[in-house]
Amino acid sequence: MARTLAMFTDVSLCIGCRACQVACKQWNQLPAEEPEWTGTYQNHAHFTDKSYRLVRFIEQKDEKGGLRWHLMSDVCKHCAQAGCLEACPTGAIYRTEHGTVNINQDICNGCRYCVSACPFGVVAFNQDTGRASKCTFCNDRIHNGLGPACAKACPTESIQFGFRDDLAAKARKRVEDLKKMGFTSAQLYGEDQAGALGGLNAFFLLLDRPSVYGLPEKPRLPQNNVFVDSLLSIGGALLVGVGALVAFRERGGREE
Amino acid sequence: MPLLKSADWPLLIDVYFFLGGLAAGAFLIATAAQLVGRERDRDVVRAGYYLALLAIIPAPLILIVDLGVPSRFLHMLGSFKPDTGIGASAFTLGPFHFKPFSPMNVGAWGLVGLSVCAFLAALSVFLEDTRRARDLSALRVTVGVIGGFFAFFFAAYPGVLLGATSRPLFQNARFLGVLFLVVGATSGAAAIALILSLKGQEARRALGSLRRLIVPALLLQTVALVLFIVAVATSGAEGASRALAVLLSGQYSLLFWVGAVGVGLLIPLALEIRAQRVSAGRMAISAILILVGGFLVKYAITSAGQVVL
Repeated sequence: MARTLAMFTDVSLCIGCRACQVACKQWNQLPAEEPEWTGTYQNHAHFTDKSYRLVRFIEQKDEKGGLRWHLMSDVCKHCAQAGCLEACPTGAIYRTEHGTVNINQDICNGCRYCVSACPFGVVAFNQDTGRASKCTFCNDRIHNGLGPACAKACPTESIQFGFRDDLAAKARKRVEDLKKMGFTSAQLYGEDQAGALGGLNAFFLLLDRPSVYGLPEKPRLPQNNVFVDSLLSIGGALLVGVGALVAFRERGGREE
Repeated sequence: MPLLKSADWPLLIDVYFFLGGLAAGAFLIATAAQLVGRERDRDVVRAGYYLALLAIIPAPLILIVDLGVPSRFLHMLGSFKPDTGIGASAFTLGPFHFKPFSPMNVGAWGLVGLSVCAFLAALSVFLEDTRRARDLSALRVTVGVIGGFFAFFFAAYPGVLLGATSRPLFQNARFLGVLFLVVGATSGAAAIALILSLKGQEARRALGSLRRLIVPALLLQTVALVLFIVAVATSGAEGASRALAVLLSGQYSLLFWVGAVGVGLLIPLALEIRAQRVSAGRMAISAILILVGGFLVKYAITSAGQVVL
C-alpha cells in the first residue's frame, strides 16, 4: 500500500468563500441544485448527492453577546474504519491504495445501507442513478498526481492535501501555535489514528468543541455492534429453540 | 441541522422484515414439530413448511422492487470484478463475496439458504400429500435441521442489520436482533395456529402444542422489548433519548403502545395465559392479533429509528 493520503482542513483559516464547493462541483461535474434557506449563509443544509464539499456557516454567541462566525469546509472523512464501507453488501465501497474510500458506481445497487451507516451523514442517495454517492477524494486527480479540486482551489490553504503523516505533524504544530495565540479550545478532530474510527483521512482543526460544528463528539463504527448483537440473538435463538422443542414434546396435560 | 442521514427504507421493507420473520418462524416450528412432535402435530409440520415457502417467495421480489433493477439483487452476492479492500474479514470466492460484518450481505446469503430449504421441505410435504412419495421424513429432518440454522439467522438478522447503522435508536439498541427473532417465532406460530384453527375443534390438540409455545414466546417478546427500550434509554449516547421519544411519546407512539404492545402482546396474553381449555375460535382471534402486533412492532421501531431529527 502506498503512503496514506489525507486532507487537513484548518477552520481557523477558512474565510467562507466556497471556492472549494464550486471547484468540487466543477471537477466532478455535479449538477446545480435548488438553493435552500438554512437561516445562515450556508447552502445546503447538509451534504447531498450533488454536493460533496460544503462550507458550514455556524453562528455562535461570543462572550460579549455579539455574534461570531465559525466557518468550516466539511467533507467526507474517509475514515480508516469506515461505516459505509463495512456496511456495503455489494463490495461497491472499497478502500483505494491511498487509504481513501470510494464507491464503485457500477457495483453499487442502491440499497442505501451506507447512507444510514455513515456516522457523519456524508453518503447521499442519488435518485437519478439510484445509487449512493459521496466525495471521491477526487480519485481521478490523485491518481494522476494532482490534489483534490477543493484543496487546489482553496485560496487560504485552509484545505491542505498531502501525505497523512506530514499533514498530521503540521496540524499538531498549528494547534500549539493557535493555543499560544489565545485560542485555548483549538483542537484536532480525527487526526489521532488510535482514536475514534482509527483516525480520519480527512481531519480537521477546530476552534471549539466538535458538537459546535455539528460533528459527533464520539463517532462510533456501527459494525462494532454486530458481534455482541449476534451473540445476544444466538441466546434468544437457544431459548426459542428449546421452547419449541419442549412445547411439542410435552406429554399429558389437560388436552389428553 | 440534523447530522445523520437516513436510508428512508419504504413500507415495503417493513413488509419484507415481517414476512421474512414469519417464514423463518413457521419453518422453525414445523421443524420442531417434525423432530419431536407426535401424529397430532403432523398438521403443524404441513402448515408450517407450506407457510414458510409462501412467505419467503415475496421476499426477494420485494428487494428487487426496492432496488429498481432486477440484476441489482445479485450484486448483494457477487460481482465479476470484485475490488480488494471491501471490508474487515471480507473474502471472495470466484465472483462471490462474503462480508461477515455486513448483516445485509450475510442476510442475502441467508435468504438464499432459507429459500432453498423452505422449497425442499414444502416439496417433501407436497409429494406426500399427493401420494407421489410414501415417507420423506428423513429428507425433511435433514432439510429442517439445516434450514433451521438459516431460519434462526434469517429471523434475527434485520435487527442486527439495523443495529449496525448510525441511527441512534438502532445503534444503542443491543436487543433488536433478539426482538426480531422472537417476533418471527410468534408470527410464525400465530400464522400456523390461524390456519389450523380453520379446522375447528378437530385441531385442538395441535393448537394446544402451539399455545404452549406462543404464551412463553410472547412473554419473551415482552422481555426483549423492555430490554431494548432500557438499553437505548440508559445508553447516554448522542441523540438516543430524542430518538426513543419518537417511538414512545412522539409520531409513532400510538402505533407502538396500542398496536405493538396492546394488540400484539397484552390482549393475546390475556386471552391465552389463563384459559383452561384450547378453543379454536379464541386461538384464531389471538393469532390475528399477534400477527398484526408482530408487523406493527417491527414497523413502529424501524420507522421511528429512521426519522431524521
